[in-house]
Amino acid sequence: MAHEPDAPILSLRGVSKSFGGVKALTDVSLDLVPGTVVALVGDNGAGKSTLVKTMAGVIRPDRGDYFFEGRKVHHSGPAEVAAMGVQTVYQDLALCNNLDAVQNLYLGREEVGPWWTGFRLKRARAERRSKDVLRRMRLDSIALDRNVGAMSGGQRQNIAIARSILWEPKVVLLDEPTAALSHSAAAQVGKLVRDLAGQGLAVLVISHDIHHFVLDNTDRIEVLRLGRNAAGFDSSDVTGEQVVNAMVGGNEAINAAG
Amino acid sequence: MRPDDRERGAMSTHSVNPPQPVSLSRRGLRERLGSELSFVPVALGLVALFVFFAAESDVFLTSRNLNNLLVQATVTGIIALGLVFVLLVGEIDLSVAATSGIASVLMAKLVVDADLPIPLAVLSGVLSGVAIGAASGRWITLIGVPSFVVTLGVGLVLNGIQLLLLPNTGRYNLLNTGVERLAATYVSGLAAWLLVLSGIVAIACLRLADLRDRKAEGLPTSLLGSVVTPTALIGGAMIAILLFLEGQRGLPMPVILFALLLGVMAYLAGQTRFGLHLYAIGANAEAARRAGIKVERIKIAAFAIAGGMAAFGGILAASRILGVSVSSGGGVGGGALLLESIAAAVIGGVSLFGGRGRVVGALFGALIIATVSNGLNLMGVANEARLIVTGLLLIVAVSIDRGIEKAASHG
Repeated sequence: MAHEPDAPILSLRGVSKSFGGVKALTDVSLDLVPGTVVALVGDNGAGKSTLVKTMAGVIRPDRGDYFFEGRKVHHSGPAEVAAMGVQTVYQDLALCNNLDAVQNLYLGREEVGPWWTGFRLKRARAERRSKDVLRRMRLDSIALDRNVGAMSGGQRQNIAIARSILWEPKVVLLDEPTAALSHSAAAQVGKLVRDLAGQGLAVLVISHDIHHFVLDNTDRIEVLRLGRNAAGFDSSDVTGEQVVNAMVGGNEAINAAG
Repeated sequence: MRPDDRERGAMSTHSVNPPQPVSLSRRGLRERLGSELSFVPVALGLVALFVFFAAESDVFLTSRNLNNLLVQATVTGIIALGLVFVLLVGEIDLSVAATSGIASVLMAKLVVDADLPIPLAVLSGVLSGVAIGAASGRWITLIGVPSFVVTLGVGLVLNGIQLLLLPNTGRYNLLNTGVERLAATYVSGLAAWLLVLSGIVAIACLRLADLRDRKAEGLPTSLLGSVVTPTALIGGAMIAILLFLEGQRGLPMPVILFALLLGVMAYLAGQTRFGLHLYAIGANAEAARRAGIKVERIKIAAFAIAGGMAAFGGILAASRILGVSVSSGGGVGGGALLLESIAAAVIGGVSLFGGRGRVVGALFGALIIATVSNGLNLMGVANEARLIVTGLLLIVAVSIDRGIEKAASHG
């Protein structure tokens, strides 16, 4: 990437949000750049999920601005944000265990025949298109006609990500994609995440797995603490200890304790 | 904030794997038993029951008795067929028996008191069932109350209205009104063969269309597995039934109607977008909602189908017993008719937990219940024992359902 620096596609500026008396976010800013993977890290209650939900349009902040492709956006909710090209994969994945991979990938936007067929599903076409998409994402090992309930955690995660990609988004937000995964499955998800950025998407990943996932698979690490921007690092020149210190408050915490 | 170009190029080349073939047949038997083969255990159970009763009673396998058995199974089967849709979305309808009762009384009233032509009266009865189901569904989705409580209440309300609709004698006689012909008509000879053959051709055509689509998309196909075997199995069963019943008077109209409805409903649940969404909602309503599926609307449609089918089942029952009375629709509370309809669906492998089972399960479940009842009757076993056996069957079926549910989610 020797050419001009990419401008952020999605930016939050000075975002604050309170729930009752609890300040979840205070004056937080964040940029997502095409072709880049950003890790959002922080302790429990640091505001990571609130920030992702703000980006997804689920939560409307009390103060602060939402910029998309350089323009200030006043969106009406998650549907409009998704329509702009921001897809979110939540931790619960929202898969139907009794349906197979193809059915899950196209759930809610199946191609069907005319009314006199009773809107018959075009199964063969969906299957072929799923096959193409999974091959492009190098997920060929997923059996298309298996119920996703019978699949491993890593495969389920990958199907959920693949489904968000079918909408051809510009930004993908992943809420703890590796939380319940083994190291090898997490590595597979990491590879997928890097591939997505390689195809020009802006990716945001929430993860607790600093050493095995974040340092290896992201370009930029943004640390939240107690609802504020605590630190930002380039993943290439930071150690796990530095990140963890920023998360828990490092010297300040020690000073406060002493 | 600049993307770091250090190893980006290296990483993406590094991650290129040699393409592997996308595998299509890794579904284990356990997984298939949980979905498209969910009726197999019950089909095997049915065969075992047939063998047992054939050994115990000389009369059991006569075509006269099998004719009775099939007709006995149709009313329960048709009501269960509609219930499958409600069960698939994870709800239940305890008012189906009462709906069948009130629809049959309404139909009889329109025929006897208002001299309405029979097709119109039947249509009115069925539509009343659809309306009752849709109204229950609307209420349940609007208020967010458990369906079993709402439909229990609706059932009692309907029982009350049924009593109000009946004349002082407490009964409408349908003999010689023409309604009795619905159940008493038999189709035999060439017409029966044409019916069965057109059914087989329809199945083969659907299967061939699938095969053609898969070929067009360059997907692996199997003529034997996806066309020949299923068509031969279903067609063989249909021809066998026809041959058995030809010896008597031909195909009874209720059985033909049941088969038609079964075909239409199986197509609806298995081949259409509506059907897929039923399964999605039953497994994960929140995921379905997020995928843009109109969950409420589909649930209401499911209740409407259950209501319509229940109404039609009730009308068929009225035609068969030549009248309607206080006890139409199983009497107050639905009685055995309600329990046997639910049992038929559950024994047929349709899960009470939602999202699992096949429409054809209603057929096998209803056949099992009718067979147990018919067989024990022939063996001279008292009614008490019949109730006990049917009850135990239901417990076994729902326990198996739970077992499959667990196995499927941890497979």
